[in-house]
Amino acid sequence: MRLIRERYCRALLALAACFLLLAGCGSVERQGGDVSYASVQTIPDYAGEPYVALFDNEPGFTEEDLTRSSYETYSELDDLGRCGAAEACVGLDLMPTEERGSIGSVKPSGWQSVKYDCVDGRYLYNRCHLIGYQLSGENANRENLITGTRYLNIEGMLPFENMVADYVKETENHVLYRVTPHFAEDELVARGVEIEALSVEDGGEGIRFHVYAYNVQPGVVIDYATGESWLEGETAPAETVYVLNTNSKKFHLPDCSGARSIGEANRQEYAGSRQDLLERGYTPCGTCKP
Amino acid sequence: MTAIVCVDDRGGMLFNRRRQSQDRLLREDLLREAGGRPLWMNGYSLGQFSSPPPNIRCAEDFWEQAGPGELCFAEDRDPGAWADRVEAAVVYRWNRRYPADLYCTLPLEGWTLERREEFAGSSHEKITKEVYRR
Repeated sequence: MRLIRERYCRALLALAACFLLLAGCGSVERQGGDVSYASVQTIPDYAGEPYVALFDNEPGFTEEDLTRSSYETYSELDDLGRCGAAEACVGLDLMPTEERGSIGSVKPSGWQSVKYDCVDGRYLYNRCHLIGYQLSGENANRENLITGTRYLNIEGMLPFENMVADYVKETENHVLYRVTPHFAEDELVARGVEIEALSVEDGGEGIRFHVYAYNVQPGVVIDYATGESWLEGETAPAETVYVLNTNSKKFHLPDCSGARSIGEANRQEYAGSRQDLLERGYTPCGTCKP
Repeated sequence: MTAIVCVDDRGGMLFNRRRQSQDRLLREDLLREAGGRPLWMNGYSLGQFSSPPPNIRCAEDFWEQAGPGELCFAEDRDPGAWADRVEAAVVYRWNRRYPADLYCTLPLEGWTLERREEFAGSSHEKITKEVYRR
């Protein structure tokens, strides 16, 4: 424990020195967790890379955390419906044995269904698992899902999940894994996620990292307070995609179960504002609450 | 020399001084590829082989010591740094995306792709092996 903590303190001091040198940095407050470093941590502004190493890549686990028994824990949602830290000891017995089911019923804080041509797959936001499904088999758990950009999901988080998952499969060892979303003040969309991992049986020889992945999407501006967004160079929020039932006059989010059951004759996809739909006599679905 | 590397979808090799991934069946394939020829690597790579065969040569400056026709398994060194001495390359592709802070910069453009094979690893669905000659 001493070794880990001493190294961690040294990394903290080094990072603190860096903070004094860095100008124009954003500051976000750490949510949840019980680690012993500063509660307010400065993260370098996004500079074109999907993730950045923190604390010289030294994770904050202590010797008491080291266990060869798999587990997973999630924080209760806060008053704003936001996720906190999620932590797991990933072992083979925790990993899924079947295909992932639908997670469309979960609407994380700040959720918006919006498309851009410049985004891979077009949808700006994904429901991002904090502990990836391939690690924990945890599916539609609202304490494990945040509103994350496609870029965060695929470029920022997935590579680390892949590395941990493949290491566990190959070695049958365990990996301590913690993901902490960072929200600024009362914002509903996280600015990014902090990811820490440490392989247990080999003392971190195989897996050891501590990074911050940015919840950004190149080419798109995000209002983190609400989740609204627009293309860089534009000022108006983008149009949101809804599915209309032209018969019942209800409107739904595209992944709502109610939207999927609309007959073809009554189904219409609509891109525009919620207010416009209300003015046209449509009412929001009570299930997905668009 | 023949350089041997394992890379992810973006040519990444290493993150935080640790290999991106490992696979027992890939190591077996690597030894078959060597076929008894001298196979150079450093101590970090040697740690993966529980019973190293006699043709493995271990040195921290293995790329300096390897002669013509001999193989160099590079995990924490970019073989692009000694590209002028590389006659051939065996590239194992994980077909996955991992984090990386060290990339393989071996300039394979214009080299002849002699073989491409795919096989299932012990923990990877599909590993692609490509053999290039300058």
